[in-house]
Amino acid sequence: MTVSPLQGITHACFGLSYLLALGLELARLARPSKGLRIGSLIAGAAGLFAHTTFIAYHRPTPAEPYGSFLYLAWVLALFYFCGSIQKDARNAWAVFVLPVVIALVGLSLLLTRETETPVDVPAWASGDRFWGPVHGILILAASIGVSIGFLASLMYLVQARRIKNRVNPSRGTRLLNLESLERMNRHAVNWSFPLLTAGLLVGTLLLRTESAENLLSVKVLSTAGLWVVFLVLLYLRYATSVPARRLAALSIIAFGLLLIALIASHPFIAGGGSG
Amino acid sequence: MNLRAIGCNVSSAPVGLREKLAFDEAKTRFALAELTARYGVEAAILGTCNRVELYLARPETGAPVHAPLVAEFLAELHGVGSESIQPHLYEHADAEAVRHLFRVAGGLDSVVLGEDQIAAQVKTAFEAAQKFEAAGSLLNALFPAALRASKRIRTETGLAAGQVSVASAAIAYLREIFETFTDKTVLVIGAGEMAQLTLTHLKELEPAGILVTNRTAEKAESLAAESGGRAVPWDQLDDALAKADIVLSTTGAPEFIVPYRRFKEKVRPKRGRRKMVVFDMAVPRDFDPRIDDADRVSIFNVDDLNRVRDQQLAERRTHVGAAEAIVAAEVSKFVQDWNRRKDGPVIGKLTDEVDRIRETVLEPLLAKLNGKLTDADKAYIEGAFRLFQSRLLHGPIAALRDSGGEPHGVTLREALMKLFGLKG
Repeated sequence: MTVSPLQGITHACFGLSYLLALGLELARLARPSKGLRIGSLIAGAAGLFAHTTFIAYHRPTPAEPYGSFLYLAWVLALFYFCGSIQKDARNAWAVFVLPVVIALVGLSLLLTRETETPVDVPAWASGDRFWGPVHGILILAASIGVSIGFLASLMYLVQARRIKNRVNPSRGTRLLNLESLERMNRHAVNWSFPLLTAGLLVGTLLLRTESAENLLSVKVLSTAGLWVVFLVLLYLRYATSVPARRLAALSIIAFGLLLIALIASHPFIAGGGSG
Repeated sequence: MNLRAIGCNVSSAPVGLREKLAFDEAKTRFALAELTARYGVEAAILGTCNRVELYLARPETGAPVHAPLVAEFLAELHGVGSESIQPHLYEHADAEAVRHLFRVAGGLDSVVLGEDQIAAQVKTAFEAAQKFEAAGSLLNALFPAALRASKRIRTETGLAAGQVSVASAAIAYLREIFETFTDKTVLVIGAGEMAQLTLTHLKELEPAGILVTNRTAEKAESLAAESGGRAVPWDQLDDALAKADIVLSTTGAPEFIVPYRRFKEKVRPKRGRRKMVVFDMAVPRDFDPRIDDADRVSIFNVDDLNRVRDQQLAERRTHVGAAEAIVAAEVSKFVQDWNRRKDGPVIGKLTDEVDRIRETVLEPLLAKLNGKLTDADKAYIEGAFRLFQSRLLHGPIAALRDSGGEPHGVTLREALMKLFGLKG
């Protein structure tokens, strides 16, 4: 029986490809060049191909932190690549998105090692092969929105600072306009909130028989905190007229809570299928 | 090459004279027809607000047209004394004229270094020359080459990068903030020349609406009518500010017309989170700077915009060397290509003549040796004759090609024609 060459693809393959793409993008900021752009796109495309192949071959479950980060990184890598190949793509797009993709790939790799040892499956989760993955997928979909909202917010704050400091528009790092970034953030939050709410409801149903100790786990608390932050975000956006930069700051906090929630050990591992 | 670039520009002639020498389409048509008929020249006229230049090409053997003749022609055409024109005219000849046009087209000779309108104006001048049948072989090669050089300068150097006017700097900031403009309302406060000028640029963004307000209602109505906008009474300024996304303020008021408190109490509550960009071009300023919260409201004053313009001009100056190098390379290429093109027929005739001579020697020889030679022998002899011919002609042809652009090139060409009995 022959071993598929796809089996040889590891985190390092796509992680390093993304890193190379980022390096070329940074070099392009310092010295704009068509060659660097093409090189960066090729490296990015190679990374995305390896990443896709890895996911297709290993089919990690989104119910595990390892899988969640891997899927999240893949969606953001797709987001980076589509944004970068657009004709009017701004330089800074990749410079903001790729570090997040690389960090998520790194976290995924880190959590692979941690979860290599068998995990005790909670009694309530055994035999539940449907609601666990549903919860995982809903949270993952919401996480994509939170991550996009985070990136848009980060770029918004940088762009707002550039304008405040009256930086010459044709100099330095170029970014999308404030209106587009605000719209991107608004859509991300609007889409994420119902998904997050549904994911939390499913999670709550699965946890209803759990002990108080599990209910107060970092995972549960940070996810609940994330939901509260989203609620506040929606309230501030639609019921008040607070400045957009405060909403952007809150979106960044939401992303921090998301990372904590995903890193915290997941209670539905055994119930997860391939997603 | 027998080319002259004769004209005046902002450095050589006062605006009063340039105004008198301006060309509209009818005058251009008439002038081109007259120039070709009277002087037997190819002609193109480049007329912009900063320059009036005539590009005149004559056959190699003809006497070149000089500035005094052009001064007389312009004087007659525009009804101005030639003595008031001639001292302001400059004249560039041949390769220098080519270089001048390439520099002009590339924005190196513009008042605003690297400005991009000039390339379109050069193109228009060329199209007029073609349309009115005043362009011949030289100008038909020269102007496209100038436009190519201009394109290279704009794409390969930073000479045309960035914003070098206050209005374009304002628009660049707007593009950093807004995604679209077709849903935006522009409010103009004040109706002076500055408002008019900047509004012309803002209109290019195709905003949804333009509101104009001024203490003198008639002035507001007049500017509104000109710009396709709507005049708003001065006492409704707060409502107009609540509606506006882009504000252009240019009044001569001695104090803030929009103080912080007034904005905070009467305008901000009606605006929600909508962004507003204010270009406060007035000195003293019209808007209290505290209104700028770096999020919902951004106020740019005249210093902010001037700074961008000055930075960009300084940046452009650093690209002059690279742009001049492109001009030099393109001029050299053009002159060489032109001379090659001109030498082509001479080389063709020379080759034909020596071919003919070879045939006249070779044919009787082969006829005499008929029956004694194999086909391979015949081919060998023919090849030897061809080799002899090509080695013989290599020197003169190479010398002629190498003389491209040099003064003795014409003499060499004439000498070859005489020596080999070629007819022109």
